[in-house]
Amino acid sequence: MTGTLFLQTLVDGLILGGIFSLSAVGFSLIFGVLGVVNLSHGIFVLLGAYLGLALKEAWGIDPLMAIPLVFGALFVLGGLVQITLVSGAVRRGSLMSSLLITFGVSLMLRDLIILVFGPDVQSLSSSWLFDTFRIGGVIVDGARASGLIASLLSLGLLSYVLYRSKVGRAMRATAQQDFAAGLCGIDVKKIYAMTFGVSAGFAGVSGIIVGLINPFTPFDDTHWTLNAFVTVVLGGVGSPVGALLGGLMLGGISTFSSQYVGSLYPNVFIFGALLLMLIVRPNGLLGNAYKGSV
Amino acid sequence: MNKQISRRTALGLLGATMTSATALRAMPARAATDGVIRFGGSLGMSGRYAETGLNIRHGYETAIKYINEEKGGVQIAGKTYSLELGIVDDASDPARATTLIQRQVDEGVDFFLGSYGSNVVLPCAGITEAAGKVTVQVGGSADQIFTQGYENIFGFFPRASRAWVTSIEFFKSIEPKPKTVSVMATNSAFSKLNAQAAAAGCKEIGLEVLDVLELPEQVTDSSSALATLRARTPDILITTTVDQNSLVIARQMIATETNVPLLYQFLGPQLPAYRESLGAKADGVVMQLPWDESLEFTDPTFGDTQSYIDYYNATNDRPFSYHTVGASSCITTYIEAMKAAGSVDPLAVRDALDAIDIVTAFGPVNFTEDGDGDPILMGAKIGQVQGGEIKVVYPENLRTAETLYPTPTWAEKG
Repeated sequence: MTGTLFLQTLVDGLILGGIFSLSAVGFSLIFGVLGVVNLSHGIFVLLGAYLGLALKEAWGIDPLMAIPLVFGALFVLGGLVQITLVSGAVRRGSLMSSLLITFGVSLMLRDLIILVFGPDVQSLSSSWLFDTFRIGGVIVDGARASGLIASLLSLGLLSYVLYRSKVGRAMRATAQQDFAAGLCGIDVKKIYAMTFGVSAGFAGVSGIIVGLINPFTPFDDTHWTLNAFVTVVLGGVGSPVGALLGGLMLGGISTFSSQYVGSLYPNVFIFGALLLMLIVRPNGLLGNAYKGSV
Repeated sequence: MNKQISRRTALGLLGATMTSATALRAMPARAATDGVIRFGGSLGMSGRYAETGLNIRHGYETAIKYINEEKGGVQIAGKTYSLELGIVDDASDPARATTLIQRQVDEGVDFFLGSYGSNVVLPCAGITEAAGKVTVQVGGSADQIFTQGYENIFGFFPRASRAWVTSIEFFKSIEPKPKTVSVMATNSAFSKLNAQAAAAGCKEIGLEVLDVLELPEQVTDSSSALATLRARTPDILITTTVDQNSLVIARQMIATETNVPLLYQFLGPQLPAYRESLGAKADGVVMQLPWDESLEFTDPTFGDTQSYIDYYNATNDRPFSYHTVGASSCITTYIEAMKAAGSVDPLAVRDALDAIDIVTAFGPVNFTEDGDGDPILMGAKIGQVQGGEIKVVYPENLRTAETLYPTPTWAEKG
């Protein structure tokens, strides 16, 4: 039983970590390329969940099938937010202005969600949601397993785009030295907008996964922003692999501390790990603590 | 110059038109009454308690609309009064709520309606008590609200430590007799206090308490606690969590095939959103039921429970909950106390509330000496989801269905 419990805890941690990774990768990308701490990240996660809900209710689209549509919609919205609002903060190069602007964006979008969907608890449902698989004594449920698979696929796709495509190269070049990238003919403003769009899109995709697993309200955004922040500090800024490692670490710390110390204490261990990482390795496991690491 | 005069004239005309329109719109209500009774208070219409906050607001609004529009106000000591609701949004934040309540006290509001959440109701009660203002509320039941010697606050629920009387009796009545119980709570005062009361009550009737599992205040992952439950499965699992957390736990129990013969969730299954989210899997879940539409009561304002439901459904889009009905009955209780006192003086109304013994659409209303609901008369019934609907399974005299125990496993529920 002890061995099975350990394995179950490990699997639960990996699955939870996969979801944390996906929800954090956009935050990491924006910090890496734009140097902006995006406090509106959590609200983009929730927007993904609410868009999934709207598509399900309006046309009966299964939440997982809605992922491309949600990504597309939030890519456009994210790009527009960057061009109209966040670009000012980027121009000023001020951390404080980026914090204020993205916080303001999160408040506006939250009120918009309340206006459209109301403040009530919502959840995404699907016919396969409560299916479970048993591997030995270890139980894996459909929602979480699909969450982990979707996370790995999405992170793999993002890695491919970043490291194998022209746009990815332009993003990495902009992250390293935006002025030099501009001199080389890269349209830096366009890359900034695209990065914000891609990040918002990934946040939205993670919102679908989150919504399948947990009920959500418009007031849960701070939780996801904070999780993304911790994941990025643990894993390192700007790197999808860093986000994956950070997320898995966070998931593991959360489930193992809950199981073997007490369900009440995961936050103690999560923030303890955060402090330790900032002291011992401020750059995170991979990547750079500051701009220029993609 | 001409342009300036022209603009002033235009603005003046616009202002005069708007003022006249407002006055004309207000006239019919005011013309028929000798005064206005204003109810103040704050509610979490945004923030973490928004869902229940909105349910409560709809209850207040429905009763006031009915009394003003259908009954032409209320007669107290020969005078006719119309009612006015001055509820403001406290964003489920105690600090904001106390500021707003203090402002209303300063503005001279005499009668308050409660917010939702003991952590909000308690500090607000301190302010209204000090100012000698009355509060009737349907949103807070922590013992501290009723054990500090406050004389002006009344609650529709028994205090938390007495809220388990019916539930414990219910556990005793189950056949075959359950032997073990585990309790799951979150790290909040409300949840922990209820968990302690539940565990203590279960011990008293001879149930072995296997585990008291605590989770963070906002639950996103309960997999570790559920693994413990699978390793040491109780006959009854009690969760003393708020609505959203209860849903998280239930969904994860289903997803991880964590089966217990009886799942009792203090809050959550009462909400339509909970039952819609779980579908057929919600069948068998047991809950405290402060009110159910199958229970028929007379009501001095609406006539009876069914008439209340009909009027509510005809005038609101939002589905009602027990909080909605309780909130409407707060208004009815105030009005009946004012009639009994023959006055709208807060102290006279307070004394009348102390002695009140009426039946409303919510059920009997009778407060203890400390102001909380009488644990027998106003105590919760026990409900169980059966066939997608909530049935009353305890006490026996109100029963609308037999208790289903042990309940089928999640997989068997389809």
